[in-house]
Amino acid sequence: MQLPLLSAGFVALSLTLYVLLDGFDLGVGILLLFQKHEQTRDHMVDSITPTWDGNETWLIMAGVTLLAGFPIAYGILMPALYLPLIVMLLALGLRGVTFEFRAQMKQFRRRWDVVFGIGSTVAAAMQGIVLGALVQGISVHENSFSGEILECFTPFSLLCCGCVLLVYVLLGAAWLQFKGSGRLSSFSRRAARIALSLFVGLFFVTTYVSFKVQAGVATAWHAHYGLLITCSVAMVLATVVFLFATERHSATIALMAGMGMAASGIFGLAALVYPNIVPFRVSLWDASSSHLSQVFLLTGACLVAPVVLAYSLFAYWVFRGKTPQKGWDL
Amino acid sequence: MTPAMLARIQFAFTVSFHIIFPTISIGLAMFLAVMEGLWLKTRDAVYLQMYRFWMNIFAMAFGVGVVTGIVLSFEFGLGFARFAQLAGPAIGPMIALEVLTSFFLEAGFLGIMLFGLHRVGPKLHFFATCMVALGTLMSASWILSANSWMQTPAGVTMENGRIVVTNWWQVINNPSWLVRLPHMLSAAYLTACFLVAGVGAWYLLKRRHIAFAQRSIALGMAFASVLIVGQVFIGDILYGTMLKHQPSKMQAAEGFWEKQSQSPAPYYWLIVPDQKEQRNRAAFGIPYLGSIWLTHSLHGRVDGLKNTPREEQPAMGMVFYGFRIMYGIAILMFAVASVSLWLRWKRRLFTTPWFLRLLVVMTPSGIFATLGGWYLAETGRQPWVIFGLLRTIDAVSPVPAKTLLITLVSFICVYAFFMTAFLFFVFRIIRRGPEEAPAHAESSGSLKNAFRTQIMGKAAAATREG
Repeated sequence: MQLPLLSAGFVALSLTLYVLLDGFDLGVGILLLFQKHEQTRDHMVDSITPTWDGNETWLIMAGVTLLAGFPIAYGILMPALYLPLIVMLLALGLRGVTFEFRAQMKQFRRRWDVVFGIGSTVAAAMQGIVLGALVQGISVHENSFSGEILECFTPFSLLCCGCVLLVYVLLGAAWLQFKGSGRLSSFSRRAARIALSLFVGLFFVTTYVSFKVQAGVATAWHAHYGLLITCSVAMVLATVVFLFATERHSATIALMAGMGMAASGIFGLAALVYPNIVPFRVSLWDASSSHLSQVFLLTGACLVAPVVLAYSLFAYWVFRGKTPQKGWDL
Repeated sequence: MTPAMLARIQFAFTVSFHIIFPTISIGLAMFLAVMEGLWLKTRDAVYLQMYRFWMNIFAMAFGVGVVTGIVLSFEFGLGFARFAQLAGPAIGPMIALEVLTSFFLEAGFLGIMLFGLHRVGPKLHFFATCMVALGTLMSASWILSANSWMQTPAGVTMENGRIVVTNWWQVINNPSWLVRLPHMLSAAYLTACFLVAGVGAWYLLKRRHIAFAQRSIALGMAFASVLIVGQVFIGDILYGTMLKHQPSKMQAAEGFWEKQSQSPAPYYWLIVPDQKEQRNRAAFGIPYLGSIWLTHSLHGRVDGLKNTPREEQPAMGMVFYGFRIMYGIAILMFAVASVSLWLRWKRRLFTTPWFLRLLVVMTPSGIFATLGGWYLAETGRQPWVIFGLLRTIDAVSPVPAKTLLITLVSFICVYAFFMTAFLFFVFRIIRRGPEEAPAHAESSGSLKNAFRTQIMGKAAAATREG
């Protein structure tokens, strides 16, 4: 039966959209910590304010689809990733309310911006820890998590953490080039350059270490070398395009290339993990829910997701073009 | 404390905190849609002023609701992994559909509603407001369906220790859904009515913003008068539904232990239950009223909790007081609404100080009543997490108690911060008043900027001149 495969595809789609969209939101949040000029910070936040909520909803979509389609996997992964997920949720919460609260008050805005930046950084860092823990492997016994609560914090997951932070900064910088003007342009271009060079170095190290910490990685390369090589080539190409586009001030192409880098990374990870849903442990089919649940989920997704994508695009279209220097009231 | 107890406290705390904000935002979203509609129709500037004013508070409530809601969608698995694994096939797809049909709808149009007026024009902006209100309504429908399925499960069988859905229509339209949904929606709308009327009454007592205040009281009390009648009626039907499907809950809710209560039965308002001894150490109530209300006769007897085997009993105290808080506030609301009709008839609605003071006191009443109702619903379902199918104690995740305690404390700290900031800004907005609303739109991506826009400003100016 191929329905679980389709559901897994929908989980992957939601996760990809989350990383691509909330990736730049979080990146902008992280970059807030490096911007001293208050009006420029306002300008940065303005660029993501109207659309951040929809972007973050893809995270809920991914989590809930996992619950609906693969309840066994959800029940294993949540306790296994308990600490990083809780910290991530709290950080996302702090960052989320700051959108509203910083707007209410001018005098303490600097402090709200620090909360915003730290919230974004911690949320992104925890997503990196989750990624590392997934690749390194989770202890599973009879369909439930059997390891220690702290075992997700390893040197390898710290490496992944660095990669995720840098990718988000890179996406955030690309977004700011795309939406920003004036002094924001030069700031974001510099951030993009630094993030890119650090990322390329760290990514190689992380990939190399992944073979050492998880034997399944090498096996997966043997099994899906075609796919994985395609993803690697796509990533290299996207990186080169990003570099040139940033130098030549083509903001749109740079943003697309940045997203291409992140997307090829995610597809690579998916190929690495397939056909499992709990990486290297539990397969899609063993974790999936029964037939009718899959049918209901997928029917709903096929009918509603296109509409969702359409009006999400509409929302972006309403706020198209450069973000006004003085907010959305011009 | 055991991990099970800590996981339950954590879930109870986060979900109780969360429900406050959707209750406000479901109610206010509908209120805002009505206000903007009335403004478009009549071009009366007071409606626009009300829209502007409540929009600020709505946006903050919505924000806190979103971020505390994300936590819940993960917490099913974080704290109750066995529940997620067992019930995932039934409630997972429903919540997935909730995200698809509601969360995205709200998120997509919220941006336009808050910041987009000058970009899309008033008609499309009104459409966005309506879509946000519709999103909150659909969200409530799905989540009430999922929760009602946990109360009155239907449409599933157990195969090899896993739940298999056999009929989706029965899962969604389970026996209690279509009663509990309107009950919750009315609760949210009533909450908004009393918020609006209460703030209006406060202004009137302070002799500020008179037009705004009078309109707020008039509208708030008018909607409340209709809604509370419906709510009492729906509540009565729900009582019957739960009596049939979850007798243990209603037995605990009335505070009697013996299989048959004394005759005539009093209606208890205060009890000190002793679960171990299966009796009340003390009980105070109104004589005869229990028989009259619950059995519709002078000497009828009421079923007590001993009808339920001990290992399947909920803890009486929580259930009883949850119910009494909700029901007590409902009676108060009914009284206030009746008085408001009388005063309206006498044309003294805006000039009766004691009534205005009463309205100020009643401002947050809807929130407390809703919380009470949810405590009745959720603690009354215990010891089951899915009634009759899975016990709460068997649903808990393999997470050590120490970790749970640390995260519980973190949640309490962060949420206390949310609440403090939320209340601080709400009080500040109220203190500054509706006329200040556009003036404190500073240069930022704040929701208020939407209202410094030319279109709304010009339209309002045109209305005043015309």
